[in-house]
Amino acid sequence: MTISTLSFQMNAVDQMDALQQAMSKTQTELSTGKQIQTAADNPVGMTQVVQLNTQLSASQQYVANGNLAGTNLKLEAQALTDATNVLQSVRDTAIQGNNATMNTSDRQNLATQLQQQLQQLVGIGNRQDGQGNYVFSGNAVGTQPFAQNGNSVAYAGANQVSRIQLSAEQQISTGDTGSSVFMNIPAGNGVFTTAASSGNTGSASIGAGTVTDPSQWVPDTYTISFSSPTQYTVTDTTTGTPVTTGTISSTAGASNTIAFNGVQVTLSGNPNAGDSFTVAPAGTASVFSTVSGLISTLNSTTLSSAQIATRVNQGIQQIDQALNQFSNVQASVGARIDAVSAAQGTAQSQQTDYQSAVSQLSNTDYAQATTKLSTEELALQAAQKSYASMMSLTLFKYI
Amino acid sequence: MADLLSTSVSGLLAFQQALDVTSNNISNASTPGYSVETANLAEQPGQYSGSGYIGGGVDVQSVTRAYNAQLTQQVRTSQSSYSSYNTLSTQAQQIDKMLSDQSTGLSASLQSFVNALQSVSTSPTSTSARQALLSQGQALAQQLNSYDTQIAQYGSQLESQISSDVSQINTLATNIAGLNKQIASASAGGQTPNQLLDQRGKLIDQLSKYITVQTVSQSNGSTDVYIGNGQALVSGGLAQQLTTIPGSYDPTQLDVGLKNASGVTDVTHQMTGGELGGLLSARSQVLNPTRNALGRISVALSTIVNRQQQSGMTLNGTAGQPMFTVGTVQVLPDTGNSGGATVSATRTSLGQLTTDNYKLQYTGGAWQLTDLTTGQQVSTTGSGTAASPLQAAGMSLAMSGTPANNDSFFISPTAGATAGFGMQLTDPSQVAAASLVQATAATGNTGTAVVSSASVTNPTGYQGNTYQVAFSGPTAYTVTNTTTGTTTTGTYTSGTPLTFGNQQLTLTGTPAAGDTFTVKKNNAANIGDNSNMLAMINGLSAKSLDGGTTSTSGAATNLISQVGVLTQQAQNNAAAQKAVNQEATTARSNATGVNLDQQAADMLRYQQAYQAMAQVISMSNKMFTSLIQAVG
Repeated sequence: MTISTLSFQMNAVDQMDALQQAMSKTQTELSTGKQIQTAADNPVGMTQVVQLNTQLSASQQYVANGNLAGTNLKLEAQALTDATNVLQSVRDTAIQGNNATMNTSDRQNLATQLQQQLQQLVGIGNRQDGQGNYVFSGNAVGTQPFAQNGNSVAYAGANQVSRIQLSAEQQISTGDTGSSVFMNIPAGNGVFTTAASSGNTGSASIGAGTVTDPSQWVPDTYTISFSSPTQYTVTDTTTGTPVTTGTISSTAGASNTIAFNGVQVTLSGNPNAGDSFTVAPAGTASVFSTVSGLISTLNSTTLSSAQIATRVNQGIQQIDQALNQFSNVQASVGARIDAVSAAQGTAQSQQTDYQSAVSQLSNTDYAQATTKLSTEELALQAAQKSYASMMSLTLFKYI
Repeated sequence: MADLLSTSVSGLLAFQQALDVTSNNISNASTPGYSVETANLAEQPGQYSGSGYIGGGVDVQSVTRAYNAQLTQQVRTSQSSYSSYNTLSTQAQQIDKMLSDQSTGLSASLQSFVNALQSVSTSPTSTSARQALLSQGQALAQQLNSYDTQIAQYGSQLESQISSDVSQINTLATNIAGLNKQIASASAGGQTPNQLLDQRGKLIDQLSKYITVQTVSQSNGSTDVYIGNGQALVSGGLAQQLTTIPGSYDPTQLDVGLKNASGVTDVTHQMTGGELGGLLSARSQVLNPTRNALGRISVALSTIVNRQQQSGMTLNGTAGQPMFTVGTVQVLPDTGNSGGATVSATRTSLGQLTTDNYKLQYTGGAWQLTDLTTGQQVSTTGSGTAASPLQAAGMSLAMSGTPANNDSFFISPTAGATAGFGMQLTDPSQVAAASLVQATAATGNTGTAVVSSASVTNPTGYQGNTYQVAFSGPTAYTVTNTTTGTTTTGTYTSGTPLTFGNQQLTLTGTPAAGDTFTVKKNNAANIGDNSNMLAMINGLSAKSLDGGTTSTSGAATNLISQVGVLTQQAQNNAAAQKAVNQEATTARSNATGVNLDQQAADMLRYQQAYQAMAQVISMSNKMFTSLIQAVG
């Protein structure tokens, strides 16, 4: 076959062009450190790189979110620890006030102490974070949640808290509202509350009582009324129907248990005829009203010692409910702090995975690229040399 | 003796001509498109003598050029394919490069915007986080706008290239027709005008760079040229002229027309192959689809973010305003419409919105919608009046005025969206991080049900009334609009939203009989509420496009990948066609080109023959001299 001189030359030049283009591409790979310059180089790889980078960026944001959530939750945990300590002192003070040997002025001293502790509690409830946002005001972060007016404290915050996204699937609350922590504490024993009528003349005080069979409990209000120091009748005042009647021991200072509808209450001391006690379904009470209740009880100059004992006992019971509430919230905060660190740990290990996947997909394999470049260089040199030597081969040289 | 001299002179002349041809071959060895020429020697007729016929010498009967019609057509076909793919790949590479930047790409910008939303959700009261969100939104808008501007620039460059290609084709057509005339008259003498043939071949080769070419040879030596899908361009000495005409819908997108006696015929769809074909496919396969895909992303962003903004409460306690503006549905009437109908089009469903363009035509008393990308007719509901608009492809089309039969409109739901995409919030407090409504459980509730979330689902229908949800048992509930007193009842399932009054309330747990929940306008003091931001983040990551299969960021990734695949295919095809073209060119060149060694050998051969002839003359002189001497 005849080879046209022109096409022989053109082909040789085209081939050298192609080799130079390949070398330039390899050189770009080496100098940019990226083996995918545009999507056309590797559409699937590029798509993966873009997706991985997006996930990486999102994951970094989730870690930042977690840091903020962690800070908020740690502030709340600290506030709860402080509130628990204050409440523990309140409880100690109340126990002192329950001592029968105390006189009125001793109790009033204790009441003054309680007033300071109440202020401390309100102070903890009104704590702010670094940005001046209230920890316990729910979504109304700019509103002071607790306003103290004398001994009464009202909640002005919101009833919902914001949530923070820890990962694409996980959101957690970054706090708890003041109303759920300080205000809505189950009253009494959590199921019912007990109270002595203010007109009682006997020495009997009523304990907080317990539930013996929750299935028989009917959440109505009951009155235990004494027609004599030993004879009593329990009436469901909600429906107006008598529930049971019975007698108690008349021994001085005896403790008597009265049981009905799956609950039982203990009377300590001796009632007089006409004395009455109520058992009502538990509502909620705020820790502040409990403390201020104790303050007014201890400040009282009119209450009998039996009434004081009943009220202080109930107050202590209420404080235990509050401590229990604080501890529950503390546990939930702790669990959320753990969730934050777990999510951050996962996010960080994912970031490492994403980064290594991105670098595997898009970064230049220098060993491979360098070898490729020297192979291409060798091929180009060979093409140039052979072209030069073949071009000198012509018959005209010999004529 | 005279015969001896005359035969040798004929030899001298013939070999001189042969050497002329060889010399011409050598001098044109590097001329592209030059076909090697051969001097065809033939014996001259003999003279009768008693002892028989004695030859009369040699003559160059003709000079012919090497030509291979099949290889030539292969060169041209592969040249058209190569040009077409190469043009498409050049155009696609521009878009590919624009979209592929990893640090500033669209996906990165979208994620930065979502991250900014996350920052506002973690610190809803922080003005700096809100300002950063507005800046990111602005940056996102600028990026989408700059993409749209770049595509428009590439588009206008492409249009001017179409114009220049059309005028190149016209010039070549005129020249080919002119050569056809010259060749026809030059061939009348029986000899082929090789130089003119080469010249015409070269022009047709050039034409194949611009468009697919087919040739048919005529007996008078002229060649008819057909382009694209068989459109006659040159017939003998006559050249047709192409022209560009403004698109009947979008005058900025040029169509290709053929001038004839009755006017101009649109032949755009017949213009395949070559640079012109490549440009037309780059426009329909890369530029327009990319603009539409970006437009749909703009529509998705503005729809999702604006709806959520309007479902939220700002830092000032007011209802949020839309964050982004976006371009409307593009409706372009056909320039040939004779009726007076106008179309008002709006987008109605993000999930059904496509990246295709549509043609709306009034035929036989009814409106018909055709998807221009698939060519399929689209089924519609509604009659097309303002009261009953035509519903299809995520759009609502209401026509007014009286259309003439076959009047049509070009409708693109997304093409104009990005150009109008912009951030319209300026004050950081306008970011609606909080929900427009809040739900509270009554303090006396005894069940375990707690509020999980409350939100407005349709901000335009939301009245701002207070609703009370009262449970008469663990599942039965009554919703009372406390303003109007109207009630509705329903059955509750934990975690499933209760919907009423364009809002929804999600509770978890089991309510007890008598439990109540109140849903009302959010309190302006709840500035720490971030639930609307979380809903916005959720909305953006939700698969809201393509009937609920593609997310906004997924659409961005898909676009990069689609353009990447198309560019890669075009590059691969261009490389393959380049190889085919090189091979065909080499084959043709080997069959018709000049080989210098061969010419050197020919030169020696003719030189030797010439010298031998000269020797014969010298010898005849000697013969004559010896005869004279012998006689004298």
